[in-house]
Amino acid sequence: MMLDSFDLDALKELGNIGAGHAATSLSKLLGRTISMSVPEIRLVKISELDEIIDAGRIVSGIITAFKDPLSKGEGYLYVMLPGDTPGKLISVLCGSATSTEYELSALLEIGNIISSSFCAATADFLEVEMIPTPPSLAQDYALAVIDAVISRLVESYDQVLLFEVVLRDEQDFFETYIVLIPDAVFFENVVKMLKRKV
Amino acid sequence: MTEILVGIGEYRIGKKPTILKAIGLGSCVGVAFYDPVLKIGGLAHVMLPGKSDNGCARFAEDAVNRMLRDMGKLCVKKDRIVAKMAGGAQVFKFITIDALKIGDRNVKSIDEHLRKLGIRVVARDVGGDKGRTMLFDTSDGSVVVKYSNGDVVWM
Repeated sequence: MMLDSFDLDALKELGNIGAGHAATSLSKLLGRTISMSVPEIRLVKISELDEIIDAGRIVSGIITAFKDPLSKGEGYLYVMLPGDTPGKLISVLCGSATSTEYELSALLEIGNIISSSFCAATADFLEVEMIPTPPSLAQDYALAVIDAVISRLVESYDQVLLFEVVLRDEQDFFETYIVLIPDAVFFENVVKMLKRKV
Repeated sequence: MTEILVGIGEYRIGKKPTILKAIGLGSCVGVAFYDPVLKIGGLAHVMLPGKSDNGCARFAEDAVNRMLRDMGKLCVKKDRIVAKMAGGAQVFKFITIDALKIGDRNVKSIDEHLRKLGIRVVARDVGGDKGRTMLFDTSDGSVVVKYSNGDVVWM
């Protein structure tokens, strides 16, 4: 898998659209203004992942798989909430007196809203299907959360495409990372569709 | 003591006293080989069960075979090797994606392959729902497993 500068620009544009919609949804859910960073695209060797995602820190991660039945392309969307962000999000949503069960369910819902709006906007723009599964949640080491996903995708490749955008509220209150991890088929299809658009 | 990071899908060998470290094992499994006579150790960070067509160390059998061969070049004898393994968890609380249930298959694949090779597994800490970081000290063959919730296991 090789990326030229057109591919990178195309993917950045795609990220802007998807993350823009995700930010709007999150903003509605929380009742706060959410801004987003310029998306970063990285083609990463899997052996370098440890360092890039800071493998040993504890995060809350929500993973959704998606599939385009037409092209057979598939991939995963990983919403990562690092550090004290999960706790802060929960207190905004549920107040202070909650049970663990509620908290996990709230995080799952946040992940669900971000990933489904991201998928819907991206699919609309590209005129492809991105049918998402319900989300799965883990609170663990950053690498432990996604190693199963990466394993799935690298059965035939040794690189993955990390797509990273940071959502923040006005007071820098929390950070949310959205990482798009497409397989080669989905990725190639995306580039093809984007080329048709311009 | 030097510390060497064993990245996902890689293996590393420590000749001198070294800490070999695999961070954030979720469904992945850390496999440590130790020769107590030469005090040489190797650690593999296995991602997938079975083997590949091209001997890629991401796969259980290939990682074990290649680590064994490289340790053999350093005069390690197979019948002296003792193995310890950790990882193969299922970290998702609400799992809806079957493909992510890969931890158990990794453990099973490594177990079967080591049995076939006649390598003794002297300690194991596998399965469960917590990620692990594995630290392997090649000066004495000890392994420390640090769980994501802060618990620590020595083996």
